[in-house]
Amino acid sequence: MTAAQPSFKARAEAALADRTLKLAIDRTTGNAERKRAAALAAFPEFEAARARGKAIKDHVIAHLDHYLEMFARNATASGAQVHWAADDAEARAIVTRICLDAKAKIVTRAKSMLGEEIGLPHALADAGIERVETDLAEHIIQLAGEHPSHIIWPAMHRTREQVADLFREGHNPPPEAEDPATMVQSARRVLREKFLGADIGISGANFLVADTGATCTVTNEGNAELTTTPPRIHIVTAGIEKIVPSTAHAMALLRLLVRSATGGELTQYTTFHCGPRRPGDADGPEEMHIVLVDNGRTKMLADEFREMLRCIRCGACMNHCVVYRQIGGHAYGGTYPGPMGSVLTPVLDGLAGSRDLPHACTMNGRCQEVCPVGIPLPTLLRAWRSRGWREGLEPGAVRAGLGLWARLARRPALYRLASRIGVRVLRLFGRGGWIGSLPLAGGWTGYRDLPRPPGRTFMEQYRADQARKEVRK
Amino acid sequence: MNPRDRILAAIRDGLTTPRPEPEAIAAEAVALLADPDQARPRLAAPDLAEAFGIKATALGTTLERVARLADIPAAVGRYLAAHGLPPGLALQPTPALTDLDWNGVAVHQGIAPDEPAALGMALWGIAESGSLVIHSGPETPILLSFLPLHHIIVLHEADLLPHLEDYTARMTGQAAPRNAILITGPSGTTDIEGSYVRGAHGPGYLHVILVTRQG
Amino acid sequence: MSGQPNPRVGLFVTCLVDAIRPQIGFATIQLLEEAGCVVEVPQGQTCCGQPAFNSGDDADAAHLARQTIAAFEGYDQVVLPSGSCAATMVHGYPELLAGDPVWAARARAFAAKTHEITSFLVDVMGFRPDGRRLSASATYHDSCSGLRDLGVAAQPRALLAEIDGLEMRGLEGNDVCCGFGGTFCVKYSSISNAIVTEKAEAIEKTGADLLLAGDLGCLMNMSGKLHRRGAKTRCFHTVEVLAGLADGPAIGEEDRG
Repeated sequence: MTAAQPSFKARAEAALADRTLKLAIDRTTGNAERKRAAALAAFPEFEAARARGKAIKDHVIAHLDHYLEMFARNATASGAQVHWAADDAEARAIVTRICLDAKAKIVTRAKSMLGEEIGLPHALADAGIERVETDLAEHIIQLAGEHPSHIIWPAMHRTREQVADLFREGHNPPPEAEDPATMVQSARRVLREKFLGADIGISGANFLVADTGATCTVTNEGNAELTTTPPRIHIVTAGIEKIVPSTAHAMALLRLLVRSATGGELTQYTTFHCGPRRPGDADGPEEMHIVLVDNGRTKMLADEFREMLRCIRCGACMNHCVVYRQIGGHAYGGTYPGPMGSVLTPVLDGLAGSRDLPHACTMNGRCQEVCPVGIPLPTLLRAWRSRGWREGLEPGAVRAGLGLWARLARRPALYRLASRIGVRVLRLFGRGGWIGSLPLAGGWTGYRDLPRPPGRTFMEQYRADQARKEVRK
Repeated sequence: MNPRDRILAAIRDGLTTPRPEPEAIAAEAVALLADPDQARPRLAAPDLAEAFGIKATALGTTLERVARLADIPAAVGRYLAAHGLPPGLALQPTPALTDLDWNGVAVHQGIAPDEPAALGMALWGIAESGSLVIHSGPETPILLSFLPLHHIIVLHEADLLPHLEDYTARMTGQAAPRNAILITGPSGTTDIEGSYVRGAHGPGYLHVILVTRQG
Repeated sequence: MSGQPNPRVGLFVTCLVDAIRPQIGFATIQLLEEAGCVVEVPQGQTCCGQPAFNSGDDADAAHLARQTIAAFEGYDQVVLPSGSCAATMVHGYPELLAGDPVWAARARAFAAKTHEITSFLVDVMGFRPDGRRLSASATYHDSCSGLRDLGVAAQPRALLAEIDGLEMRGLEGNDVCCGFGGTFCVKYSSISNAIVTEKAEAIEKTGADLLLAGDLGCLMNMSGKLHRRGAKTRCFHTVEVLAGLADGPAIGEEDRG
């Protein structure tokens, strides 16, 4: 994040003012919420499955070095070339070098949030390579020149009318109509040529299977297979936390992932990619490269954010977040939006530039409730707040105000006196039962009325009652 | 240090728990999957074929049963006619299909980018989810399952497995293919306003021919 | 059940109830006494420390945690008319003091006997209000901390179901946050406003006479928004209705005393 970008608050204000955006968010997240609820209702074993999924991820994280070495060994044995990248720059350099060495002109890409995280789209453009996003939503935002606003539905901020405008400009010939079905057909036609003409296909991975060395992608469109099969080279970029011990462990997590993401049971295509084309194979790439990316993950492993490594990127936390549902994904400013993004963005971009994110949360706990691997997201957000406080990142006025309040709260008698004075002063600002406007409290009274306190605090009244009772005795 | 060693060293620094032997880790991993019935959905019906059918059709897959492999050409002919397609399609180059008497249906090998229809075989079906399993290989081009608009898949009823774990158990100790794919319904997308559209990039139609008798 | 018919209960009033709505504190005392408790209000209490805890100021939060534990740990039970402050004590205190050799165990013991009022009445005391009557319709908002951190959901509904004539109406999104979030509502006031606006719309849609909830912070947020919108919904803390006070002034209605 650079200083030139608008602040979180400015981005949030812009989002709140955009009623079309709100409509688009409500349609997609509302649908996702309903479908997830129905999928869980049909799966009474979900709680047990969630406990198991959490245990699988914790097991892998506790033995991450062991499983990474096992994966790398098996992937290499399958004929894949395994690369390791400590950060985003190394990952970009590795992928770009493979593309340039292969003299690739067209690269197709199947949606991968890790690719976004490491800045792959820009890196390919800078290297002069034509990048073709093949996931329909990524295709939409590529035409719009935007970033994903959701990790499952990257173009969820766009209404069909806006998509129609983009396709009219970007498709030749343009779609014949503006209904989703016709527009999808148009994208199918446009992208089909690109799939078959690409030199390299790049995908992410939902899982890295340690005991086979396979990478796993899940899609509903079939674009991952069309991205990874025809070109001469398949490159996978994946975070090191994507490891599972075996295919069966991946299946256990898939049951959680798909239900939590879209309310389905499995995606239409669950594909394991194990090495390049075998002798005699009818199709498939001649080379497969797997780039294992750290980019802050080992740092999380070592500190209070370790539990975040369980995240399987389902997006349920954002679909159920009251803040996300008001401001959408772009306002968050990082690669990953919503609650999980507010934990990850400070890791990736630094806390100083993303200080607002852990605070822009009501701590209502719904994200943790729906998380399929039980990540205590509010606790992790609070951990960032604590770190921000320790590092002195909080604004001076907040520190001063809270410090004054804490000094009072540490002294009960003084606190009671301050409360007594406080309610009397507060009463002066209202009439009847409400205060409609209060200096320095515009954050409250700008939007809602404040109940006017009665003249005496509970403690005053209680102590008076007790004194009367004593006298009567 | 190279990046690999740096990453592994950082992990070992971060993990403060004792490091067990590989055998102990493997045993722990196996134990995590014990009693699978506790953490997976029950089948939609006691009968595997019925359970598979319920799940598959719920996703928009169509299904028909034939008695034996020899009945497939006629079934394919009927399907193509019913969808107003010309009487021809791309055929997976596997003897089980190529050896059939295709009288009346013009079959060909090789898949055109805009192939109207193709016929292939699944290795297994999974009743839990209505999924079909295909593995890449000399007789199984992956693009046959993705380029056509209509994808017809033959599945032997005897190859139906109850759960996803039953498939992974079959693969234990076997060499993994380049691609193992679980196909669960026709290609679809909800990327425009969450409204569901079939046939995003892969087939818009998935038709399963379930063969009830062996041979 | 505790097996103790007349426990000595320390009431933690909470700062909002102390300042804005003392009646909630007295209603809580009334219900606890009806249930057989001996209630005291320790004078060593101030605030549970949640504002500091949620702002990342762990040192001040820990200080207030120790202060509160010291003031209350002599009681058989500790009860609060707030799920959010109770959750801070039940989950936050042990977390804040986990590394402290002396206070960690005291925090855990304290947490084990700290309760939100409606769950205490039902789960610990087995209390059922008797002879209540209120001719009104009401809808109930589940305040988030109580609901998710403490499992407060069935208890207030069970208690309210004992009131003759009270018609409970379902609230769409009853378990969705109202947008209060403590300091969130003033730090990110426009986002909070968007959230509470949707909440107010859902409440108005029920057409209920009363809105009930178990946390004054949420109630101030929702009632303040409803009033600003001109809605006629009257807002009460659950314990006020249970204590028979719903005939008197609701939140924001001119008090008579």
